[in-house]
Amino acid sequence: MLLKIEDLCAKAGDKEIIKNFNLTVNEGEVHAIMGPNGAGKSTLSYVLTGKPGYEVTSGHIWFKGKDLLKMSVEERAREGLFLIMQYPVEIPGVPVTSFLKHAVNANRQYHGEPELDTMEFIKLLREEAKKLGIDPEMLKRPVNVGFSGGEKKRLEALQMTVLKPSLAILDEADSGLDIDAVKVVSKGVNELMNENRALLIITHYQKLLTYIQPHFVHIFADGHIVKSGDKSLSEEIEQNGYSAYTREKL
Amino acid sequence: MSDLLPIIPLFGDDIPWLAGRRAQGRESFCLPTAKTEAWKYTKLHTLQRDDFVYAPSKFLQEFEGECEEEHCSCCGEHHSDCTCGDHCQCSHKPNLYIDLPFDAYQIHFNNGKFMPLYPALSLGVEVMTLMQAVVEGQAKNYIGKYIDLQKHPFAALNSAMLEEGLFINIDNNIKLSKPLVFIYHSNISQPLVSNICNVFVAGKNSSLEIVEYYYHSGNEKDFYFNNIVNEFYLAQQAEIKHYKFQNESFKSAHIALNYVRAREGAFYKSFCLQKGADLARNETKIELMQENAGAQVDSAYIMNGWATIDTTTDIDHLSPKTTSNQLIKGVVGDEARGVFQGKISIAKDAQETEGYQMHKALLLSDTAEIDAKPELEIFADNVKCSHGSASGELDQDQLFYMRSRGIGENEAKQILIDAYLLEVINHIDNEQIKEWMRSHV
Ligand SMILES: Nc1ncnc2c1ncn2[C@@H]1O[C@H](COP(=O)(O)OP(=O)(O)O)[C@@H](O)[C@H]1O
Ligand SMILES: [Mg+2]
Repeated sequence: MLLKIEDLCAKAGDKEIIKNFNLTVNEGEVHAIMGPNGAGKSTLSYVLTGKPGYEVTSGHIWFKGKDLLKMSVEERAREGLFLIMQYPVEIPGVPVTSFLKHAVNANRQYHGEPELDTMEFIKLLREEAKKLGIDPEMLKRPVNVGFSGGEKKRLEALQMTVLKPSLAILDEADSGLDIDAVKVVSKGVNELMNENRALLIITHYQKLLTYIQPHFVHIFADGHIVKSGDKSLSEEIEQNGYSAYTREKL
Repeated sequence: MSDLLPIIPLFGDDIPWLAGRRAQGRESFCLPTAKTEAWKYTKLHTLQRDDFVYAPSKFLQEFEGECEEEHCSCCGEHHSDCTCGDHCQCSHKPNLYIDLPFDAYQIHFNNGKFMPLYPALSLGVEVMTLMQAVVEGQAKNYIGKYIDLQKHPFAALNSAMLEEGLFINIDNNIKLSKPLVFIYHSNISQPLVSNICNVFVAGKNSSLEIVEYYYHSGNEKDFYFNNIVNEFYLAQQAEIKHYKFQNESFKSAHIALNYVRAREGAFYKSFCLQKGADLARNETKIELMQENAGAQVDSAYIMNGWATIDTTTDIDHLSPKTTSNQLIKGVVGDEARGVFQGKISIAKDAQETEGYQMHKALLLSDTAEIDAKPELEIFADNVKCSHGSASGELDQDQLFYMRSRGIGENEAKQILIDAYLLEVINHIDNEQIKEWMRSHV
């Protein structure tokens, strides 16, 4: 078992958003969480990664058997949790290459592996960038500054393929991407996926799920999962929207 | 420190104009109080003690033959066991040479005293002690002539004790190939006051790069007070680039006044990184005398603990088409206090002048403080000017983003601080010096 969320309740600011949320994710599984805008999907991703301002009021989260809520943001990342953010942050003055070198070496250090020197790192980064169709010039630019929506998401995907997390959470990973880019990013995600890893795909639309096949689809409304099923559930949502589920709870 | 300065016999007290300048300094000196406008934000409690020490004159001994020994060419001290030559055997040879990551001519001061080791400079560049320049008659037209001692109390103190320092003259059309680095070593545990005055005279169309490195190698709690005055005289089209890294001991005091007087088409460009001292002030006063003279004054400061670091600029546009640009960026943590006072004055005749100034500071704690006073005084009507001051905190979303990739919190903060200061460090033209400064933020 990679991730187990038990009876989680959490607040965004002072607003209660996550209510008695339960989910178990095993190695090798791809889960999709679908829900209408404002349901709290991004909030869930921030609670998992430990973003300040998102407070857990009750419940537990176990990650690789450890109490995730006792870990700092960076510890969670080093233990193998990665979030493709819906809104990646701009960091003026910090070039992509040096940012990612810090990240990779911080992770390596944590796992007792020798740090990569600049040459080794640049080689690795260039290879991964090429697979995602990222122009090497982009790697010299400050993180996300002036990037188009698509470029931002490609950079998120690049960080994921370089850091090789055990559990990747994709929060609207396809928003802002044209169809070719969706294909490239999905290919990167699919190549990363193996029996030791897992994916949690958070999405409003079904589109991405045609490129990354989920084993499980969960409908997220009113702070928790209201229905779980297989791929066909996402197709049903595509047809009928979320109204049935949001009405159901009323 | 009290307003009454001790009387220290100095070289040249018998030269009327020099004695007059010292007397004027002595009379003008008066420790600023909370009511002194120019020192309103910078509290001087670091100087509230009465055990200050002044070193006796080295020049009196030398010129009046009290000491027969030559200076040791390695350490610059007088001593009898010196067997100078290629391999100095002297027992107390301080190793002054510093490995710096840029090629330069090194000049050393040790606890306020110039070590007479002259770099082998190319033709057209002269380096001599200020007192030598007094003897040779070159100094009179410069030293302290244009500085208003009533307004600059520490320049008054410096004048009262005027003796140490260098006179540097660069001839017309000479361009010095390597920077001249002044390394001010401090390694003393006494409350020593060192008054140093350097005069730089740059001829027409000459160019010179100067680096000042205030380097402390003693106990980290050493208290001492470096009180510096630099005077820069730029003839037509001359260019001086002045880099300073102030890294004094964290208990010390450092006060510097850089006075610049630029003629037609001359350009003074400076960058100052202040990191050390409990009380530090770097003040730059520039007079753009003639058309097309220009200045760029950039600074960065990083401070923690209870330190006060003050950056004060005062730029006078006295002629048309003069330009000035300033960017000052600071990072303030703990209970430290950053002070910025920036004034741009544009005279009535100084049409088509441009003066820009920006101060930005990053506060790392709730108890850190910034006091900023930008000022514009414009008497001409056809000018472009702007000024401003802004302070903020580290961006929490950026910190979270970095940490969510596994970067530790402190490392993430350091990366953001580095990036913050990079904007101003990038103004440094000399790539090696830029890297050197960057490695110290
Ligand atoms: N930091 C915050 N403070 C207060 N409210 C928040 C905060 N973050 C999100 N919310 C609110 O929580 C709800 C869920 O938002 P979000 O998790 O972004 O939804 P989704 O990703 O499903 O569209 C929204 O009503 C949003 O306005
Ligand atoms: Mg969202």
